[in-house]
Order: sequence, then structure tokens, then C-alpha cells
Amino acid sequence: MSNAVDQITDLLSRLQSPDFYEREEAVRNLGSFREDEAVAGLVMALEDPDMGIRELAGDLLADMKGDTASRLLVSFLGNADIGTRNLAAEILVRIGSEAVQPLLDDIDNPDYDIRKFIVDVLGLIRDDRSVEAICRKLYDENPNVACSAAEALGEIGSTEAVPALIGAFESVDDARLQAAEALGKIGDPSALEKLYEFAETDDSMVQYVVLEAIGNIGQAESIDRLKKHLDHEDRTIAETALTAIINISMKHGGKFDGDLPLDKFTEFLFEGIRNHNRRITEFTLGRLKHWYSQDVMFRLLDVLDSVEDDDRERISDILRDAGPSAAVSILERFAGNTITTKLTLLDVIKEFLDDDLAQRLIGFIDDPEPDVRQKIAHLLGLSGFTGAVETLKKMCSDSVGHVRSTAYAALGWLASENEIDFLFEGLNDKYSDVRQSALGALIVVGSQRVVERFTSDLYHDDVERQRLAVTALGMIGDADVVGPLLGAIDHPDSSVRKLAITSLGRIKSIDDPRPLVLALSDESAAVRKAAVTALLDIKGQAAVQDIRALLEDTDVWVRYHTIVSIGDLGVSSYAELIIPYLGD
Amino acid sequence: MEINVNESNGVAIVYLKGRLDLSSGTALKEQIKTLFNDEKIKIHLNLSDVEFINSSGLGALVSIMKETRLRKGRLSLSNLASYVQEIFDITQLSHIFEIFPTEEEALSSYQSIKIG
Repeated sequence: MSNAVDQITDLLSRLQSPDFYEREEAVRNLGSFREDEAVAGLVMALEDPDMGIRELAGDLLADMKGDTASRLLVSFLGNADIGTRNLAAEILVRIGSEAVQPLLDDIDNPDYDIRKFIVDVLGLIRDDRSVEAICRKLYDENPNVACSAAEALGEIGSTEAVPALIGAFESVDDARLQAAEALGKIGDPSALEKLYEFAETDDSMVQYVVLEAIGNIGQAESIDRLKKHLDHEDRTIAETALTAIINISMKHGGKFDGDLPLDKFTEFLFEGIRNHNRRITEFTLGRLKHWYSQDVMFRLLDVLDSVEDDDRERISDILRDAGPSAAVSILERFAGNTITTKLTLLDVIKEFLDDDLAQRLIGFIDDPEPDVRQKIAHLLGLSGFTGAVETLKKMCSDSVGHVRSTAYAALGWLASENEIDFLFEGLNDKYSDVRQSALGALIVVGSQRVVERFTSDLYHDDVERQRLAVTALGMIGDADVVGPLLGAIDHPDSSVRKLAITSLGRIKSIDDPRPLVLALSDESAAVRKAAVTALLDIKGQAAVQDIRALLEDTDVWVRYHTIVSIGDLGVSSYAELIIPYLGD
Repeated sequence: MEINVNESNGVAIVYLKGRLDLSSGTALKEQIKTLFNDEKIKIHLNLSDVEFINSSGLGALVSIMKETRLRKGRLSLSNLASYVQEIFDITQLSHIFEIFPTEEEALSSYQSIKIG
């Protein structure tokens, strides 16, 4: 033991060292002792000139806890240096319940600053043992101590304090606000009748806090008592009453469905949404399902840019539920929004698209955002409004490729024979996705003139155009394409030949499939395989006589494909054709 | 082409079997017109047995979609064979039709959406 005392004595002397590292090491080592002298040394270190050492000592004391540390720290609450006082208070809070009794023992300290500190610390420790003593401090001769006592009781949240807080509200003028606030925090419904009385005060500041407290207690029956304050001439009071109602409503799952004069609070509610007030947002959006005035529509549109993604989606749903009139409102407020909001709004408009809305949309095709222009092009096509054809043709010249691509696709959904030449121009675009869209549009139009143009393109100088042409002819797929596709079986490009044969197999209605039989001798294995499939599709079992020769094909995959194709017919007699190839 | 109609929870389910081309497309439009006349505006086309579709068939579907929109109804498709899906993708009609992998998924989507 004496060894420990010696060591502590040595460490205490080192605390006076001018060398930072020596003092720091001494504090660290003192933390490993539990003797009162070591604790006292750590408390002394709270006055060290270096902040790092002060905080280290504080951490060690908070970890040690214990009565000695607490009592010494309480004595520091009167320290002349505000920083040291605050540090001592902070450590006491961290020590927690073990510090309660030492704090209570000094709660009547003659220094009102110390009394206030003690009450503040007890409030933050939140230990019910301190309630009675703090209740007495509601009547402290110093108003700051009384106010702190009310606040501390609110922090502790014990219902035992409710009568004392009501008493303080009625008799301690300086602590009325804090007492009312504390009653709200405690949340005990037994305080409500008195709070309803207090809410009748002429003091608007007190009234404000009392209404807020009623809301925080959160009893549904308070709503009727709060409603009358919605008509208060002071907007702040009226809005506080509404906020209290909202808080109560949201505590009950937003289920309150009574009549409220919400039109008078539109600006307040939407300001709450804009400021990300969760409860106001939930309440307002929940009520909006039954509240579709033009003013509300415009306000919804105005907050769209301020809200989170989930709320934007909810607002979109509300706008959808509001019906076509919302779409018109949207377009009236469309231009000033961000790109995200514009895209969301266009999704809403999609639900109500008709010729009139499509006509209005045309006014926005010069939007600076390509994604917005793209979506407008899509909607114009979707609308089926043939009056948009010229607009879409203009959009096919957009500077951005994906806008042109969508404009061509949309044009296909609306276009007639008149646009065929224009759509063929799209096949010359520098971007492949635009060319593909123009191709798709021409497939949808699919008239005799389109077939003629694509037939001609089968022998275009550009091989890609040849391939697009045979793809398109295959997908147009009517009787007019059979002749050109049969002709393409002799095409110089093997991929064109293969695509032509595959398409003919799908079309099936071929009067004379002999060119396909000849294709079984094509130099390309891929073409021969396609011919096997096509002949089986067109002729069924009758094709076996034509394709059996390919069981001897030089290409293993042609042989394999032929065997599998014959096998898929499921005709047992064909087994003898295949058996010889078991040893292939 | 065979066309059969069933109904589930207010949705007319039209089953198509065979090739969707000019003549069958015309027959389909007639069938849908009959449904519209019966004030059925929620229409689902199950294309699982459609083995072939050409531009005339696509034209019929686009025409049905426009008519459905005019009537403030809803049209959905499901069970597209790979080749049919390919045509829908190339023509980008997959962007304007509501297409579901299965009939069940399509029908369940009608439960949560208000029409008219």
C-alpha cells in the first residue's frame, strides 16, 4: 500500500512539471489507481493549462465514477473558470447515477450559480431520486435556478413532478414558460385540464408554449380544445395550435379525420413541407387526397423541387388522383422546375394524355434538358395525336442523339405513308440507336412502299443498310416481302442470306420453297443451318427428304443441327436416319 | 388465329393463338370493339401462343391501344415469345405497351390502379 501511496505522491508532483508529456503520463498513470489521492490528482488536472490533459483527466474520472470523484467535481462547479466548471458538469453527467447523491447534498449551496449548475446536471442525469429536491428548486429565490429546475423536471420526465410544475406555472412568473414546456415533455394527460386553462392567457408567448405542450402530450381529445385557437387573430398562435393538432394526429397514425379550416393555413403547411418538417409533410400529404383546389395544386407543384424522392412520388400520386385538371395545372407551372421534377411531372401527365395535352406539350419541345425533350417526344408518340407528327419530325433533328432516337420511334407510332421518305432519312443518322429507331418506325408503318424501298436497300452500297433492310423485311412479314426475301437467298452477303431464310421460315406461307432447298448447299454453314430450320418450319416432315443430305455435311454443327431438328419432329421412323451417326 | 376471352376481377383477358397478321389483326380489333361496347375497358392480351406477328399485327395492336386510351381504359400484354418480344423491342413498342412476363403479374397490377 505504501508503495502505491509513494507512486501517487510522485505522480502528483509530476502534475506540476512544465513538461507536457510528463504531466500527460502522470495523469494517465493516476487513472490506474483507485485511491482518493489519485482521484484528487485527476480532479486537480482539470485545471491543467493544456486542454488535451484536462480532457484526458475528465475521461478517466468519468470512467472511474465513484463518490469521491463526484464530490470533488461538485466542488468544481463553483470554479472561477467557466471552462473548468463546464468540464466538471460534463463529467458529472457522464458519471450518472453515482453522482446524484453528492449533487443533491449540495443543491442548497449559497451560490446560485452552483445551484443552477447542480439542477442542470441532475436534469441531464435523469434520475427519479432527484425529482423531489428539484421540485423545491422551482421556488428558488433566484429565477434562473427556478427556470433550470422546470427544465430539468421536463428532462427527467417523471409524472411525480406534474403537480409541482402546475403550481410553479401558477405562482412563479419567471418559470411559467419552462414549466409549461416541461409538462409537454413529461406528457402526462393529467396536466391537460390545467393546460387548457393556461391556454386562455393573454400572454401570447405563454399561450404559444402551452399550446405546444398540449400537442406534445398528444391526446386525441385535445384536438377539439385546440380548434378554437385556429381562429386566433395572432397567426403564430393559430399556427401553433395547428401544429399541436398535427402532432396529436400523427401520434395517432394520422387517423384524425375531422374538419379543419386548412385553406387558412395553406401557406404555413406548404412552408412546412418545403422545410422538410416530417410531421407537417405527412399530415398535409395525407389530407391532400381530399383537397384538390387549384391553389393547392399550384402549391404542390411549387414544393416538388424541395422534397425528398419518396415525397415527390407521393405528390405525383396525389396529382394523378386529382385527374386531368392536375395535368393542365402541371403544364402551367412546368417550365421553372428542375429536371427531376419535370420528368416526374411528365410521368403524371402520361396518365391523362389526350390530344389537348399533347398539343400543350408541344410548347415544351425546346426545353434545355435533353432528357425532358426525349420524354416529351415519347409522350407525343404515345398520345396518338397525329397533329404532333410535324413536331416529331422537327425533333428528329435534335442535336442530341437519344432525343432523335425517341422522336423517330414515336413518329413510327403516329406516322402514315406520307412520312416514309422522312423515316428513311433516319437510316443515315450517325448514331446506330437513331438508325435502329428509324428502322423500327418503318417496320410499324410497313406499307408496300416501305417494302419497295427496303427491297432496293438489299443491294445498298452500305452492308449495314443491306442487313437493316433484310431485318425490316422479315419483321414486316406480310405477303409483299416474300419475293424480295426469296431473292435475297442469292445475296452476296451471307448474313443477309441467313436473315432472309430465317424470316421466310417464320412467314411460312411460301408457295415455292425451292430456293430454300438450294440454300442447303450454300457455302456458309450458318446459312445451311438456317435453311434446315426454315424448311422444317414451312414443310414439316416433308422437309426431311430435303435436309437429310446435311447429315453428311462437312460442318459438324450443321450435322448436329440437322440431327437435332429431325429428332425434334418426334417421328420414330426417322430414328434409322439418325442411328448411323451415333459414331459421328 | 383463335381468340378466346375470359374475365377476372373486371379485367377482360384475351387469349390469342396462332399468327397475328392482317386478317387476324382485323378479327382481334373486332373482338376488342365488342368488349368496348360491353363497357369493358380493362383489357389484357395473353400472347403466349402467338408464334408470329408482322407489321399488320403490330398495327392492329397500336390501333387497339389508341382506342383504349381514348376510352380512358387500360391495355396490357403478357407472355411474349422471344421473337415477338424482339419485334416489340426493335420498334420500341415495348416502351408504349405495358408488358408483363406473366398473366398473373399483369392482373395483379390492375388491383392497385384506378381506371376511369
